[in-house]
Amino acid sequence: MPYLGSEDMVKELRRALSNPNVQSDQLRYRNTILKVIRAMSQGVDVSGLFSEIVKACATVDIVQKKLVYVFLCSYAALNPELSLLVINTLRKDCQDPNPMVRSLALRNMTNLRLSSLVEYVEQPLTAGLRDRAACVRRVAVLGWAKLHNLQPNSEIDATVVNELYSLLRDPDPVVMVNCLRALEEILKEEGGVAINKPIAHHLLNRLKECDVWGQCEVLRILERYRPQSDDELFDILSLLDTSLVSQHPPVMAATLSLFLSLCSALPAVSLSALERVRAPLLAACGSTSRELRFTALCHIQLLLRSVPGLMGAHYKRFFCGYAEPAYIKQRKMQVLVELVNDENVAMLLDELKGYCTDVNTDTAQAAISAIGRIGRSYSDQCLQILTGLLGLKQEHITSAVVQTMRDLVWVCPQCSDTVCLALEGCEENLQDTQGRQALLWLLGVYGERISSAPYVLEVFIDGVRSETSLEVKMELLTATLRLFLCRPAETQDMLGRLLHYCIEEETDMCVRDQALLYYHLLHCGIEETRKVLQGRRSDPSLGVLIGRPVEPISQWAHSFNTLEPLRQGTVTTDSSNKGSPEHVTSDPKPNSDLSDDLKPCQIETVQTASDSASLCTEYSTDALSSSAVAPLSLSLSPALSPEEFERLWLQRQSLHAEQGGEEKEDGDYLCTEECVQCPTIPHCSPQNLQAALQLVNIQTLAFTPPHTLPWRVYLYTHTHSSCSASKPPSTLILGELLYTGEPKEDCSKMVMEGSHEQLTTEGEEAAVDRLRGRESARQQSQTEDVKVTLKQQPRDDKALKGFLSVLTTVLHTLSTETT
Amino acid sequence: MSASAVFVLDLKGKVLICRNYKGDVDMAEIDHFMPLLMQHEEEGLICPVISHGNVHFLWIKHSNLYLVAMTNKNSNASLVYSFLYKLVEVFTEYFKELEEESIQDNFVVVYELLDELMDFGFPQTTDSKILQEYITQEGAKLEVAKSKVPTTVTNAVSWRSEGIKYKKNEVFIDVIESINVLVNANGSVMSSDIVGSIKLKTMLSGMPELRLGLNDRVLFALTGRDKGKTVVMEDVKFHQCVRLSRFESDRTISFIPPDGESELMSYRINTHVKPLIWIESVIEKFSHSRVEIMVKAKGQFKKQSVANNVEVRVPVPSDADSPKFKTSTGHAKYVPEKNLVVWTIKSFPGGKEFLMRAHFGLPSVENDELEGKPPITVKFEIPYFTVSGIQVRYMKIIEKSGYQALPWVRYITQSGDYQLRTNV
Repeated sequence: MPYLGSEDMVKELRRALSNPNVQSDQLRYRNTILKVIRAMSQGVDVSGLFSEIVKACATVDIVQKKLVYVFLCSYAALNPELSLLVINTLRKDCQDPNPMVRSLALRNMTNLRLSSLVEYVEQPLTAGLRDRAACVRRVAVLGWAKLHNLQPNSEIDATVVNELYSLLRDPDPVVMVNCLRALEEILKEEGGVAINKPIAHHLLNRLKECDVWGQCEVLRILERYRPQSDDELFDILSLLDTSLVSQHPPVMAATLSLFLSLCSALPAVSLSALERVRAPLLAACGSTSRELRFTALCHIQLLLRSVPGLMGAHYKRFFCGYAEPAYIKQRKMQVLVELVNDENVAMLLDELKGYCTDVNTDTAQAAISAIGRIGRSYSDQCLQILTGLLGLKQEHITSAVVQTMRDLVWVCPQCSDTVCLALEGCEENLQDTQGRQALLWLLGVYGERISSAPYVLEVFIDGVRSETSLEVKMELLTATLRLFLCRPAETQDMLGRLLHYCIEEETDMCVRDQALLYYHLLHCGIEETRKVLQGRRSDPSLGVLIGRPVEPISQWAHSFNTLEPLRQGTVTTDSSNKGSPEHVTSDPKPNSDLSDDLKPCQIETVQTASDSASLCTEYSTDALSSSAVAPLSLSLSPALSPEEFERLWLQRQSLHAEQGGEEKEDGDYLCTEECVQCPTIPHCSPQNLQAALQLVNIQTLAFTPPHTLPWRVYLYTHTHSSCSASKPPSTLILGELLYTGEPKEDCSKMVMEGSHEQLTTEGEEAAVDRLRGRESARQQSQTEDVKVTLKQQPRDDKALKGFLSVLTTVLHTLSTETT
Repeated sequence: MSASAVFVLDLKGKVLICRNYKGDVDMAEIDHFMPLLMQHEEEGLICPVISHGNVHFLWIKHSNLYLVAMTNKNSNASLVYSFLYKLVEVFTEYFKELEEESIQDNFVVVYELLDELMDFGFPQTTDSKILQEYITQEGAKLEVAKSKVPTTVTNAVSWRSEGIKYKKNEVFIDVIESINVLVNANGSVMSSDIVGSIKLKTMLSGMPELRLGLNDRVLFALTGRDKGKTVVMEDVKFHQCVRLSRFESDRTISFIPPDGESELMSYRINTHVKPLIWIESVIEKFSHSRVEIMVKAKGQFKKQSVANNVEVRVPVPSDADSPKFKTSTGHAKYVPEKNLVVWTIKSFPGGKEFLMRAHFGLPSVENDELEGKPPITVKFEIPYFTVSGIQVRYMKIIEKSGYQALPWVRYITQSGDYQLRTNV
C-alpha cells in the first residue's frame, strides 16, 4: 500500500484486523499481521494497532504468534496497561505441550521489559528452570537475568541464585553457559559469579562441549579463579593448552587472556604462552574477514609492547595487500616499524617505499612517517628514500616528507645536513598548513645552512596578507626572527615588513601579540633575543638508540581481548597534527612515543616515573648541598648527538690504549672507573632511570633493555663550576654504566687516571696508592656492583667528584625505590 | 560478548531491521552511525569501531548492507565480529544472497533468526543446520507450520538429526587448495602460502561413523611409516563434528558428518610455493601518447596438468583509450570500468608459455589525479592436482546397519590472493 499515507495505512490495517471475516480466515489474518510488521520495520508508527494485535495473540499458528510477539516487544513500553492482556495468553502458552511454544512464550514474556509484569513472570520462569526441554531452560535462565536487569535494585532472591548455581551442572552446555551469564548479571554488585574450586574444575572439564561463544564466556569467567597450589595451576594450564592454539581466534584470545591472568606471578610462563600463540595470531592476521584481521593486528601491537622480538622473523606477514583498507595498512605499518632489524631493514624500507605512493593519501603519509620512525635508527637509508620522494613533486607526499624530516632532525640532529640539502626547492609543492609549518620551522632553525632560506621566507612574507592559517603565521614570525639572528643582512628588511604587518594590520590577537613580543624582545638587544629563540635544535633524549623499553605484560593484560586495543592509536598518527617539535617535548613525558595514548594505565606509569624522579631530585639536591664539593651545576646543553658521543668515547679509548696502562694523565683529559653498589639498578625501567637522571641534568643516550646482560647505559653531562678561576669553566663528562651480572674480580678495581686530590698538596702517586689500598679491602664484599666509567674533558677533578656523588645518589635512590 | 542491539542498515544508513537485545542503550543512537561513518571516511580514518559517547558501533559491510552491533561495554571485539560474520553466514544459507532485497523479502524469517541466534546479547543457537530444522521459509506459507521440536536442539550430536535416509549412500570429498602469492616488481616472491580446505557432501543414511586418512607427516612420524610424500599442515581447523581429542592423541580424523554440504577441515601450509603461473610483464608508459604492455605467462606445473579458466588481469591507466591486443592464445578484453585488461585462456597446459601484447592510447592532456600501482592478479583452477601434495588415503564409513557406501574424491588447486606487482 505504498500509495497510502501512513495514517491511512494504519486505519486500513485496523479495519482489516477487526474484520471478523479476516479473523476467521487464518491465512488472511496472518497476512494482515504480516503487513503490520512490514510497515513497522519500514518505520511507520503502527503502535495504534496495539489492542487489535493483542487479540491476534491467541492463535495456534506459531508463525503468527512470533509476528505478534515481535510487535508486542516493540510497543509494550508505550502501552503497559494493554500489555497486561497478553500475559494470560503467554502464561497459557508456557503450559503448552510443545517446548517450542513454551520457550517462545517465556522469552517474549521477559522481552516485554515491563516492571509491572514482573509478578506474573516469576512463576513461569521458576517452572521454566525445571522444564525437561533444554531449550526452555536456556530461555528461563536468561529470563532471570533480564528480570534483574529490569529492576536492578530489587533484592536478589537467594533461592533463584542457588537454583542457577545448581543448573551449572545441567547436561546442556548452553544452559550451563547461560547460567554463568545470568549469574554474572544478577550478582554484578557482588563482583559476579563466585568461582570456587569444584565449579572451576567442572567448567574446565566441560569446556570442550561448548560452542565457540560458550568457551569464550567460560574462559573469561575463569579468569576470576585463583588456583590454590602450583600443581593445580599447572594442571589447569596444561588442560588449556589446546585451546591456546585454537584456530578460532576468539577462543585463542580468551585462553591467552586467562593464561596471563593465571600466571601474573610467573612472567616466564606468560612469556612462553605468548610464544605459543604466535602461530594462531599470525593466522588470524591472514583471516579473510578484514575486521578480524584488524583485531588481530591491534592485539599483536599489545603483545609487541612486551615481547618486541615476537614477530621479528615473520615481518613479511605484515606486508600490505593492494586492496586492503587503509586502517589495516596503517596498523601493519605500525607493526612493521616495530619489527625492523639489521637483516630486514633493506627489504622493509623497500616495501614501505612502495606504500608511499599509495592512492590513499593517509596511507601514503603514514608510510612516510613510518620511514621517519625507522630513520631514527637507520637514518642514511631512510633519508635517501625521503629525499627521493620529494622528487615526485606530489603535494601530500612533500608535505608528509617535510614533516617527517622535521621530526627526524629533532631526534637525530646528525641528519640535518642531508635534510637541509633536500629542502631546497620543495616549497613549491607545499600547500597544506602542517607541511608549510614544518618547512618554516626547519628554515628558522637551520636557516644558516639553507642558502635559499631568505628567499623562501620572503615569498611567505609577501603572501602573508592572504594567509589564512594562524599556525603558519606564528611559525613564520618565529622562523623569520630566527633567521634574522644568523643572517641579519638578508633578513632585516623582510622582518621589518612582517612585524609591521602583524602589529599594524593583523586582526588575530595571537599573531599580533607574538609579533609585539618579538618586537619588544628585539628592543632588549640581540643577545637577549638569541637567548630566548635559539634554544635546542634537537632533543636527543627521544632518540633512545635501542628503541622503546619493554613493558611488563601486566600493563596491557587487562585490556587484552576487549574493545580497547582497537580504539587506541587510531587518533595518534605521530606527527600529523602537531606544530614544531619544541612544543611537544616541553611536557614532561618520558617518551613521546607513537603509542603514548589515552590509556589510563600508561598514565599511571608516567606518574610513577615522575614520582620516583621527583624523589630523586630531593635526594640529589640534598646531596649537592651537603657534599663538600664546591657549587657545581650540571647542564644538558650543548646537546651531544649519539654519534658525537660515540666518536669522543672511542677516541678516548684509543688514546687510552696507546698510552698503555701506566701513565694516563693527559693535560686536559681524565678517565676514571668506579663501582657503585646498587644491584637492582639494571632491573629498573629505563624510563625511570632516564627521567631521574634528567632531573639532575644528566642525559642518557642509550640503553640495553632491562634484564639483559651485560647491561649498559651511556650518559653525558656538562659541568659548570663557578668557584675557582683556575679551573676551566665547563667540562664535558661522558659516562658508561656497566653491569655484567657475575662477580668479577676487576669489577671492583678502581683505576684512576689522574687524581682526585690534585688540589691537595699530596703527590699523585701516593694518592693512587692510597686509593688502591682502600679498594682491595672492598674487593671481597662487592660482587653485584655497577661499574661506572667516566671520561672528562677538560679535566676538573672537583667537578668530576661532584658529578660522581650526584650520580651515585641517584642510583642509590632508584635502587631502594625498586626494591 | 554482550551486544546490546543488532541492526541491519542499507547503504544510506536506513534501518532495515533491528533487534534490541538488552534494552540498555537508546535505539535512536543508531542515527549517529551513518554520519560518523561518513565523517571518518572523509578524514580517511575509517575504522571497524565507531564510538559516539559511550556507545560503540562495531560494524561490517556485506554487499549493500551494513551489519552493526551496538554496545556500551568494553566487550570482546573479536567475538562481536565473529558473531556478525556468523549472521552473514546464516542469512546467506537461508537466502542464498544476503542483500537489501532478500532482507526485505524475508523479514519474518530474519526476525525469527535474530531471536534464535541471540538472546539478551548472548549468542545462542548459531548453527544454521540446526536452525534450518525449525525455522523455515516455508513456514511463512500456511501449510502445517512446522512446530515439532527438532531433536538436534537437545541432541548429543547437535549437527545431525536422526533418521536420515538415502537410497544410495555416497560421500563426496573435495580437496581444494588456494595459493596466495605476492611477488614484487623485481620478480622475487615476497610471501606465499597455501590455504586448503576439505569439503564434504554427505549423502549417507543413519548415524555413520567416518574416518578420514591423509598423508599427514605428523601421523606418519607417529606410526613410524615414512614412505611416499607427506605433508605438514599448520593451523588445522576442524568442523565441530571432528573428535579433537582423538586427533590430538593419534592424529585420526574421526567424526559423524553433518548431512549435506559442510567444510570438514581447513589448513594452511606455509612453505615457499613456486608460483604456478608465472607472469613477466613489461609495461611502458609514454606520457601523452601511449602505453605498451607485454605480458608473458608461463605454467610452472606438471605437463600432465592443465589450468582452466585462466584470467590474467593487467591494470591500465584510467584514461587509456583505443585498445589493441595481440595474443598467442586466448583472448584479451578491455574492461574500462575496472581499468583492466583481462586476458582469458580457457585451458593452459603445464610447461607452456603464452604471450599477450596490448597497446593503448593516452590523451595528450594528462590526468593529474594520482593513481595507485595496482598489481597484476591471476585467477586459475587446476583440477586433479594439489600443490601441497596432500592426498586422501582412505575414507572409512561405518554405520550400524552395515550398508556399503562410496567415497568420491576430487582435487582442485586454485588461485587465492595471487598478486604480482608491476613497475609502472
